[in-house]
Amino acid sequence: MKNVEASIKSGNESLKTKISELAGDLGYEETAYHLPVTYALTGNAVKNADDARSAYQRTGENPFVACECYTASVTAENGKEPAPFTGFLPDADLRKMGYSLVDGSILGLALVAGSPPGADVVAGICRELQEKYMLTFLAGDVVGTLAGSGVKVGAEYRLVPLGSTPLRGIHFVDIIARVAMMFGGVSPGDPDRLISYARERAKAIVIVFPGLNDEEIAFIDALSILGIPILSMGGYEGGNWHLATPENVVREGMDQKGIKVTVTAIPIPMGCSPAFEGKSIRKEEMHVEFGGGRTPAFELLRVRPAADVTDGKITVIGPEIEDVPQGSALPLGIIVEVAGSAMKKEYEPVLERRIHNFVNYGEGSWHVAQRDLVWVRLSKEAVSKGVHIRHIGTLIAAKFRIDFPNLLDAVQVTLITDEQKVKSALLEAQKVYRERDQRIKDLRDTDVDLFYSCTLCQTFAPNHVCIITPERPALCGAITWLDGKTAFEISPSGANQPVPKGEVIDATTGEFEGVNRFVKKASHGEVERCCLYSIMENPMTACGCFECIAVMLPETNGFMIVTREFKGLTPSGMTFSTLAGTIGGGAQTPGFAGVSKNFILSDRFLQAEGGIERLVWMPGQLKEELSERLLKKLSDSGRQEFFDRIADETVTTTIEDLMDFLAKVHHPALDMPALI
Amino acid sequence: MALKALDIYKLLPKKNCKECGDPTCLTFAMKLASGKGDIEKCPYLDDHAKSVLGASTKPPVRKIKIGVGERAFVVGEEFVQFRHEKTFYHPPGIMVSVSDTQTKPEIEQIVTNVRDYVLTRIGMDLRLNGIAIRNDSNNPEQFGTAVSYAEGCADLPVVLMAGTLAAAEAGLHECGNYRPIVHCATRENYREYCSLTKKSGAVLAIRAGTPDEMAELSTLCTEAGQDALLLDLSSRSLRQFINDSTIIRQHAITRTTPSLGYPVFYDATIPDNADAALVLGILKYGAVIVIGPPTRPSEKALLTLRQNIYTDPQKPIQMTAGLYRVGNPGKDAPVLMTVNFSLTYFTLQGYLESSRVSCYMLIVDTEGLSVLTAVAAGKLNETMVRDAIKKYGVENEVSHRTLIIPGYASPLSGRIEEETGWKVLVGPRDAAEIGEYLETEWKA
Amino acid sequence: MTLQTQNIWNGRIGTVTIGADRAHGGTRTLQYTLGGEQDLAAVGPGATQQRPLIAAEICDDPGIWSPIVNTFMGDTVNDTAGWAGTMESEYHPDIVRLHLTSTRKRNFKDFSGIPETVSGVLKSTGLPLIIEGSNDPSIDSEVYQKCGEASSGERVLLGTAEAGRYRSIAAAAMAYNHCIIAQSPIDINLAKQLNILLKEIGVPYDRILIDPYTGALGYGFEYSYSVMERIRYAALKGDQDLAMTMISAAPDSLNIREVREARDDETDRTAATWEFYTAFSAVIAGASIVCVRHPLAIPLLKSAIDSIWPHSAGREA
Ligand code: SF4
Ligand code: SF4
Repeated sequence: MKNVEASIKSGNESLKTKISELAGDLGYEETAYHLPVTYALTGNAVKNADDARSAYQRTGENPFVACECYTASVTAENGKEPAPFTGFLPDADLRKMGYSLVDGSILGLALVAGSPPGADVVAGICRELQEKYMLTFLAGDVVGTLAGSGVKVGAEYRLVPLGSTPLRGIHFVDIIARVAMMFGGVSPGDPDRLISYARERAKAIVIVFPGLNDEEIAFIDALSILGIPILSMGGYEGGNWHLATPENVVREGMDQKGIKVTVTAIPIPMGCSPAFEGKSIRKEEMHVEFGGGRTPAFELLRVRPAADVTDGKITVIGPEIEDVPQGSALPLGIIVEVAGSAMKKEYEPVLERRIHNFVNYGEGSWHVAQRDLVWVRLSKEAVSKGVHIRHIGTLIAAKFRIDFPNLLDAVQVTLITDEQKVKSALLEAQKVYRERDQRIKDLRDTDVDLFYSCTLCQTFAPNHVCIITPERPALCGAITWLDGKTAFEISPSGANQPVPKGEVIDATTGEFEGVNRFVKKASHGEVERCCLYSIMENPMTACGCFECIAVMLPETNGFMIVTREFKGLTPSGMTFSTLAGTIGGGAQTPGFAGVSKNFILSDRFLQAEGGIERLVWMPGQLKEELSERLLKKLSDSGRQEFFDRIADETVTTTIEDLMDFLAKVHHPALDMPALI
Repeated sequence: MALKALDIYKLLPKKNCKECGDPTCLTFAMKLASGKGDIEKCPYLDDHAKSVLGASTKPPVRKIKIGVGERAFVVGEEFVQFRHEKTFYHPPGIMVSVSDTQTKPEIEQIVTNVRDYVLTRIGMDLRLNGIAIRNDSNNPEQFGTAVSYAEGCADLPVVLMAGTLAAAEAGLHECGNYRPIVHCATRENYREYCSLTKKSGAVLAIRAGTPDEMAELSTLCTEAGQDALLLDLSSRSLRQFINDSTIIRQHAITRTTPSLGYPVFYDATIPDNADAALVLGILKYGAVIVIGPPTRPSEKALLTLRQNIYTDPQKPIQMTAGLYRVGNPGKDAPVLMTVNFSLTYFTLQGYLESSRVSCYMLIVDTEGLSVLTAVAAGKLNETMVRDAIKKYGVENEVSHRTLIIPGYASPLSGRIEEETGWKVLVGPRDAAEIGEYLETEWKA
Repeated sequence: MTLQTQNIWNGRIGTVTIGADRAHGGTRTLQYTLGGEQDLAAVGPGATQQRPLIAAEICDDPGIWSPIVNTFMGDTVNDTAGWAGTMESEYHPDIVRLHLTSTRKRNFKDFSGIPETVSGVLKSTGLPLIIEGSNDPSIDSEVYQKCGEASSGERVLLGTAEAGRYRSIAAAAMAYNHCIIAQSPIDINLAKQLNILLKEIGVPYDRILIDPYTGALGYGFEYSYSVMERIRYAALKGDQDLAMTMISAAPDSLNIREVREARDDETDRTAATWEFYTAFSAVIAGASIVCVRHPLAIPLLKSAIDSIWPHSAGREA
């Protein structure tokens, strides 16, 4: 057992001696970066032993400089090491390597050094590194051990044998230094930039086997300054070295550096593509179905701690496909458990909704509805090709990983087909659904500091900006605050951006300093102020895809609402499309606003103007659609009778008759403060 | 700054008497706000309201009608600097020039071409608009005769590029009642031109060296009683034209210099590069553009460019729904369904034609939305496809029952199958791949 | 009083250098620095305006090229390098844009042919190059690596990155010091998003050109025209993520009915006119590079551009 701290000390001492004994010229060919590490650190080109010594001094006796100069001098003296060792790699190879890193065909770099206890261990680790698209460099005894185990080495196998001793691992560092200078814009002689580049950008790990001497330990330990995790396979104690096992070392290292494997292929015996999304499976074509009223079924997505989720693990509890005859119905519980450091509980429902799309992507799988209303079918054709119930899980897990690479690190799926177990899990799930509904319902604008924007509609309404708050969903009805938030997290440069509320300018009209600032910028300077809870003063712009339009009717001192579906004339004297044509296009039109149906039920709707009691007219269909929730809202505040005071087209579509009606029912708007 | 609907409403009489032709004062106010209303239509406006509304609701670029009869056209009434802000409303009139030194048959040949040439694109008939007669002879009588030749063979709007008052008078003698454009008055002679054109109701093009001088001259003309004006920037270089025309448009629409609120006249024959000048005229706010007789390729391109630029960006051009043939499709030819967004239609058609596979295109009316948007907005659904198949008799045209739908419409494939009973194949998302797709996938 | 334009701008278009002459480590006879404008195209003081450039498009497999161009050029189209040379010496474009159409063939495997083609073209013309690689993600990695390496030092413009596939092109640009074209489907927000994505993986903004996608005249050109105006507008208003120069090419221009069905004796003229109208309009909307395929479109464009931008401000000899 080597003590790392003690070894570093003595290792550095002996490196120092080596430097003092250097003689003659040093340098590599086929590079514009001289001795790259030293060049990056000092900005000086080392050409001979004296240069080396002065660089060593100037860097405060940096072990990398020592190793680099020493290795270069050995090479100058004895020539390159024989094949398979590559030694120093020319710039041209490096460009290709850097290309692969940016391109994504290599995910990261690994250095493996030391003397492995046996060929199997190191072969297993190297294979795993290959499978995970890591470019692996080998230095020291590992090379020989590996060769003995029949693993092929060479750049084409993504296993690069740098040299016969662990100190040759310095080439691993000169590669990182050159990548920083070539691709990262790090200028020579700027060690701080070099270190921060390496820490933030270089996706590199080191795996060390026992058997390093003090110098080698000092060299390896220095890698931690560059933010490279050092994973020890035993034989060392102390220092910031993490002890790992052959089974977990690759995953640990990649996790520590945040290197993620992207999934591209979905290993199931049926096609999987958005092209199949709309394919339905008719009863005659179906092999087995789940839910849809015939059997209990549900789906649930939960976030779990990383330790509890094994990526790609699919479990079927209950009968599999061969256990049931064609045409049968099974119960089904789809439980998707996900882990990811950026994943949050709030995203669960948004991700859960994707299960629907994913299952439909399968050529022979079909899915409708959500939560405990789901209905799933597998086709005869698919089953005859070997599709099993578990493949639904494989499909879901893989698609989540492909579509949300930055959000999710691991996805496991449990499919329950045992009736009793589905039923008991269903109760659990329903509890979760209720909690979620409650959470969204209870979220108030005052509870959050960030709203979200949407500028998708700028394609045709160039200066339009939607501000989406917990209580004010987007005017198109398609995007809630939570959706906006999730969309941003998943794709931070997308059309949904966070909008800091900033100071409250006016709590009643819903004017916020941060919102104004954002809207001004996002509208290219066209819109200066935006009041979220007002329609009369600086209302939100309207793009054209609003579900409804709220219109001030001056005669009534109130507002009417018309939906896209309502084709007739309204008391404003205009139809939905005439109104839409005049207020759309991204303009701010006081007295007119695009709103979603759900927003009508919010307390924030018309807050500045005095609330829902300003409402004088809406199409019957909308009234019907909202009736249950609207009545509840009204009766909660003891105003049930107001519901019937809202006119619809069966009462009238002219302003004159509307006035008569309002007078007759003593509509509260008539007595409210004048709007204009 | 334009007034918003409610600000205008406040100034209206609030009678809801409907005499303006709109059901409520609010509707009327909305119309005024969008520059489409006419304050004269409300008989009850008080003077204050009239003066406030008059200035701020009339279009910032004056609307001017040129010519009479079927081929008369309107220019001006524009509101924005960039078409994406709203739209450009009135496409420029393209006036083809003839010289009074040309012979009668030469003139007639050009005039006849302008009269008869039609390019039909996307359900619209595109035409050149009129004739500009140039006084090259410097002889009023000959000029008058040339005008009479042009008038003799077509009722087209004309520009009298008279150069002198005498010639203008001679020209007006021939066509004075047909709202021609008289070109052109300057600071020196505007009084005479104003009274001459006012008498006959002609439109007057005025010319000045800079936007400043133009603003002054136009004020003088309106003071002299002529306000059917066009502002001529023709004598300048291409770059100068872009600059000046931009200045004029901006000052007009922001109403900072109301005397520049008139349509722009551009003689695109002056710069060396006629095609380039014409393009600039179309793109940069030219309202009446004079060109030499165009070659056939230019003729098509210029009319197409004008149609493109003057398309309402918020209203995609639509194709008429129906069953279209590509090549000579037989009973076993593929049927490809797509939407009536013109860009989608034409792109697909282009690739189908070059793939040389005869087929049918079934165009469904999605109100001009692209496939992606139509699917998302629910403007494309299975019943529409079913109805279209029935309505356009597709079942009689082909013996098979297989429909190829666009890649982006894949979410509908199952429902379309159910609703129509046809087998549905999901085609590629990119039209460019359709040729290869048909080659590998299509079997009737 | 002198009346001025009234737009208030607070941004400027960033600059980008294309091509490397001998003084800058390449072998081009000239190089261009584009961008730096502070107003709309052709508006404002001339000193801040760069002359837009004309790129002549050629390809290495005329099989999927416009038959009109193939007929017009005759045998030349079968000799890619010769074609590039002919374009330069006879039609005088500012740039040659090489489309590696050979990579579109199914199961394309001839990766070693790419460097040959590219260096052949580099030898036969001294003009800066645009190289269009594959349009199949599965071969991107190899194709762009080869393109980048073969033109190393020449600071070419590599095309075309899209939101779904930009890594290989970005990698080639970064590894071999080239610029890239970032294309989005006629959508200002997607254009911006792609730029941000590229920045995130390390491509500096002074190496990116925006291609907002250009529909052919009569076939959606109006959308492209407006999106170019909007990008330029947003950039001048100070949006850094859109403040790149733009490149416009209407790839379908010669494939549309008006051109294909022109009378035989008018085919070439129609093709050239159509390209001219599209490209020149794109210039006015703000494009800094416009690409055409029919050689006869080049002189038309040249004369139009020269009359607005008489100085060759974009050039560094
Ligand atoms: S209406 Fe909907 S899609 Fe459009 S900008 Fe607003 S939130 Fe986005
Ligand atoms: S005429 Fe005047 S008062 Fe009567 S409805 Fe129209 S705007 Fe109102």
